[in-house]
Amino acid sequence: MNGWTRKMLRVDLSEGSTWIEDIDEEILQKYLGGRGLGAYLVYTEVPPETDPLGEDNILAFCNGAMTGVKIPTGGRSSLSTLSPLTGTIFDANTGSQFGVRLRWAGFDALVIKGISPTPVWLEITPEGAKIHPADELWGKEIPDTVAALKERGSATVSIGPAGENKVLFASIADEKGRSYGRGGVGAVMGAKNLKAIRATGKEKPGIADVDIYKFVNYEAGKMVTASPRTSEGLPEFGTSVLVNLMNWYGVLPSRNFQRGEYEFAEEISGERLKDEYLQKRGACWSCPIGCKRVTQVGDEKGEGPEYESIYALGSSLDIHDFDTIISANYLCNRIGMDTISCGATIACAMELEEKGKLDTELAFGRADLLLQTVEDIAYKRGLGAEIAEGSKRLSERYDMPEVAMQVKGLEFPAYDPRGMQGQGLLYATSNRGACHLRGNMLGPELLGAPKMLDRHASSGKAGILIVIQHTNTVIDSIGMCKFVNFAIGDDFFARLMTSITGVKYETQDLQLAGERIWNLERLYNLRAGFTEKDDNLPPRFLNEPLQEGGSAGHVVHLDEMLAEYYRFRGWSTDGIPSEKKLKALGLAELEMEQENA
Amino acid sequence: MLKQFQRFGSDLFFRGLTSTHGGNMSVRMGDRIFITRTGAMLAHLEKNDIIEIGLEEDDSNIMLTSSELVVHRAIYQNTSALAIVHLHPPYAVALSMTVKDAIIPIDSEGSYLFRKVPVVHTETTVGSTDVAKLAAEMLREYKIFMLRGHGCFSIGPVLEEAAQWCSSLEESCKIYHYTKTLQAAEATIAKSGLGELEYRKHTEDYNIW
Repeated sequence: MNGWTRKMLRVDLSEGSTWIEDIDEEILQKYLGGRGLGAYLVYTEVPPETDPLGEDNILAFCNGAMTGVKIPTGGRSSLSTLSPLTGTIFDANTGSQFGVRLRWAGFDALVIKGISPTPVWLEITPEGAKIHPADELWGKEIPDTVAALKERGSATVSIGPAGENKVLFASIADEKGRSYGRGGVGAVMGAKNLKAIRATGKEKPGIADVDIYKFVNYEAGKMVTASPRTSEGLPEFGTSVLVNLMNWYGVLPSRNFQRGEYEFAEEISGERLKDEYLQKRGACWSCPIGCKRVTQVGDEKGEGPEYESIYALGSSLDIHDFDTIISANYLCNRIGMDTISCGATIACAMELEEKGKLDTELAFGRADLLLQTVEDIAYKRGLGAEIAEGSKRLSERYDMPEVAMQVKGLEFPAYDPRGMQGQGLLYATSNRGACHLRGNMLGPELLGAPKMLDRHASSGKAGILIVIQHTNTVIDSIGMCKFVNFAIGDDFFARLMTSITGVKYETQDLQLAGERIWNLERLYNLRAGFTEKDDNLPPRFLNEPLQEGGSAGHVVHLDEMLAEYYRFRGWSTDGIPSEKKLKALGLAELEMEQENA
Repeated sequence: MLKQFQRFGSDLFFRGLTSTHGGNMSVRMGDRIFITRTGAMLAHLEKNDIIEIGLEEDDSNIMLTSSELVVHRAIYQNTSALAIVHLHPPYAVALSMTVKDAIIPIDSEGSYLFRKVPVVHTETTVGSTDVAKLAAEMLREYKIFMLRGHGCFSIGPVLEEAAQWCSSLEESCKIYHYTKTLQAAEATIAKSGLGELEYRKHTEDYNIW
């Protein structure tokens, strides 16, 4: 079978049943796979009023047509659900050994619903799924769980104590390092009493046109080698290469985004990580870039930290003790928590303390309290239990919502939008909340990829952002990594899709698919009660200019960009897709069915 | 230094030696290199388009530098160069695809300046370690060389000199092209038996004027 396997594995944990279904070819062609297929499944199967931690929510692990195919970065996989953190439709994405094995077991998707009465783990093979008791695994940290289920030719996803305890930003680990990180997907898995899933498979996907596939693949490899970002910067330093660079631009957040530069950036930089902590470099499956770091602090070795984790557990907390930051990152990996939301919510608590709203020792700069705090969150002890609910709920609890650096409940990544107007618009309009991976403007606004734009200009950014949002959606849906987009563009994706699936795709077909998926996610969020008022940013970014650094004096001009954004998208002034737009995207009928349902 | 980059970047573009986003330039200052940003437009360089990075060691600015940094570094590490210009001059690139291993200028200026310009080839041509190795070898003996089908790398103690070699090579290649084209045209006309193609009478008489 070429391209997609066209098979979906279903599991109902309440019933204790599993079965295999065919996936309609038309759905795959329209939604591509991965995030697109996941969005379709959540949209059609999970009513927005569903309790995200209840038995009707689903976990939809969805592969793209490229997942498990030997192309640059062909090892990505997506996971869609209704997020308990944001209440939005949500997809998490990772460089996934599990996704590859699931694909090689013959499945484009694994969809899990229900709640098991007791802890279980799932075994996936080409024959289907088996449910096993997991009483002995429950309570274990992720490395121990992975070790216990280790088997040749397989890969495991699992949750740690944070997921078991339903921390709203608990993650799901892929093997021991990579994660489906954001949005509390680990809490959804924990709520289902599902500790782990092991997939075993070895049947590689067929290729429809081997000659074209080989040549496009060869050319893609050449482009990855030719770009200093993908052949030198990321392989040599990992994503932490961005610490000094973002600091120079004045967009490295510190003290919960009260500042856009950090005087101790050099101490937590990619350069220092390489010189003093790096043990070896690594890569996701079939990735020639290899941004993964294996580092060591004391006796402990682990993966990371990524740039985002350094910001969240470091500069944002005014902590520059790199040993502590890296150890906190290891701890998050072991207990299964999203480092961004974890750190950003601790930063929120620290600002509440600074503003006199919260009586705690947890203050900016308290590196000595970080590890204990992270552990308290995972086990919901003391203040940790409040932080475990994310910054939005925490700040509202203390009647100071403005200090929560979040959009739609999702905490910010490590780019202050006051130095990147387009990034500000991205955060406000992303369907899963404040996320840089839904249409990252880092390339055009700071790195010159594909071309350098004026980062402080707001006019015209909406049009560019929309295209990038669609491209990012496509990348998430076909099963590749966004970093490869530093080197290759949409035309490569179209040619690869055509050669692998045998379905003719041109660049504009993929853009249209990206737009379709984006609008479908939007429709879901509208049904869930989100409005244009939620396409917003914390007031800090709109009213408080940065005082120093490379972006001093700037705020985000959101209103003018947002009006353009809605207009360019063919949405009403209150952000609702027009009927004409839905018809053009082939979504009108689906929307009607859901309304009637 | 920025003014030097701006001046020669603009000159070289407006002389047609590279496309809007093609080419790159650098200078060496001790153990540091200042190189144009990837994707920068040579005709419109601004402060943020000149990126500083180590001669040997990478740092975070590697995310911004020209993709040819690997070649520039190899050249600086193996030659006495203090400035490098890399362009895609069309006449020289075209000629590089018709000669075996060197361009031999036929005009007087080019002959004095270059004598010969080596032409080398590799499978990958952009940001390539193979090119870096060859470039370092070539530029120990020559001040400019051509990478077949891609472009030239030239060196000098200052940007002006490196720019001059590119500009002069392109001029020599233009003269070569015009000369060969005219010679071929004359041969074709002679072979056709049409005699010289005239637009007015008394052609021969003008010789005695």
